[in-house]
Amino acid sequence: MIKLPNECYYMIFNNFQNNSKSLFSCALVNRQWCRIIIPILWSEPEYHFKDIRLIKILLLMLKVEEKALLVPYKINFQRHTNPLFEYTNYIKSVGYELYSGVKKFLGNKKYQKNINEVENAIKCSLIAMILRTGKNLKYLYLDEIICNKIIIEKLYENTTITSIKLYDFNDKFKPKAINELVKILYKNSTLTSLNLESILFGFIELKTLLEAFYENTILNSLSLCIEQIDTEEGKMLATFLSKNTTLTSFNLCGYDKHWFFSNNFGLIGGIAFANALYKNTTLTSLCLWNNKLGPED
Amino acid sequence: MDNGTSNSASENETITLKSCDGIEFHIDARIANRYTLLNNWNGGESACIPNVNGKVLEKVLEWCEHHINDPQLNCGDDDSRRRNTIIEEWDENFLSCDQDMLFEIILAANYLEIKPLLDLGCKTVANMMKSKSPEEIRSAFNIDNDYTPEEEEQFRKENEWAEDY
Repeated sequence: MIKLPNECYYMIFNNFQNNSKSLFSCALVNRQWCRIIIPILWSEPEYHFKDIRLIKILLLMLKVEEKALLVPYKINFQRHTNPLFEYTNYIKSVGYELYSGVKKFLGNKKYQKNINEVENAIKCSLIAMILRTGKNLKYLYLDEIICNKIIIEKLYENTTITSIKLYDFNDKFKPKAINELVKILYKNSTLTSLNLESILFGFIELKTLLEAFYENTILNSLSLCIEQIDTEEGKMLATFLSKNTTLTSFNLCGYDKHWFFSNNFGLIGGIAFANALYKNTTLTSLCLWNNKLGPED
Repeated sequence: MDNGTSNSASENETITLKSCDGIEFHIDARIANRYTLLNNWNGGESACIPNVNGKVLEKVLEWCEHHINDPQLNCGDDDSRRRNTIIEEWDENFLSCDQDMLFEIILAANYLEIKPLLDLGCKTVANMMKSKSPEEIRSAFNIDNDYTPEEEEQFRKENEWAEDY
């Protein structure tokens, strides 16, 4: 067979980006192909993170400090030689599927009393390991584990992640999570997209976040979900938008369990918002779903 | 988007290219204008394209001629082109050649930076590998297995999550 340069093999195997079965077969052909394929196979495992076998392999890659999080729960690790590759180097994106995989992994184990604690410990250890090794990590999905010290420290140091989605906080974690998020916004210089649309923010929390957003000049995409904003808060948001010069996409979703207009900016708030948009020169995408920007009924 | 016909060469203009084994090809100048590296070798009697022999250059130029009026894609379109796994009938027939020629075309397209042909060649090879076992691929492409049994077993264990779908 005529030998092709590695870049051509890479292009051939890249056609199997969504076909891990073919990548698996090709990687077993010889060592050269394997070295080319591993970065593709591991770049976006996505739904494979739900696979317990993948979670078990990830657990084998933990270093001492990450394993230490699991010691109190007596989680047994299989005996295993060093992995052939530092697979997590190549991961580009970690979505909710990893969390589902951890849940599934625990499904058969007997930790009924403190299942949430164990689940969070495993999630923390895995995310900490991926943050330590993931030289290509761009997108990260986080829940309340953002409050864990080891995760916060790794996020401060991280220089690859450009997009974070925070999801599903228990209310007792919210103040600390927001506090940590604000610190990350002050320190991180690569984060360009932040999705907070699954978390309900009140006025005080919004104010804290906006103060951090004022200082941040990197973020260009922001999604928020806010409950019961009135005229004053609407004006506060409008002032932020009129001064911001980096956001190109802003999604402000109002939340209401009855699916009525959640946020009523009123006539004055609406006018302030319209004026802010008039002054803003960077926004190219705006979504104001479930917000009322007009006179009171 | 540039439709590929707005370049300066006119329809009747031709240029001469010479393969590394000395075979001359007189081609529509618009082809050379589309692919910068082809154009680089135009303009001298002794100018020839190194590394590409006449047989392969003939095939490459046949493909370029057939696709002369295709829209030229911007860099940003690269991904969408790659994701599109459908190969047109003419291209499929064109690349239904022996394996050595297919690999030579890929090498030439890579060397001459003719990206759409390179993508097409790579896609064709990928289709030949799809749904085959490692043994079947080794035999189809005449490749030796250089794994030790232990390495192979470890690889299988560490990546078995990818095996099913």
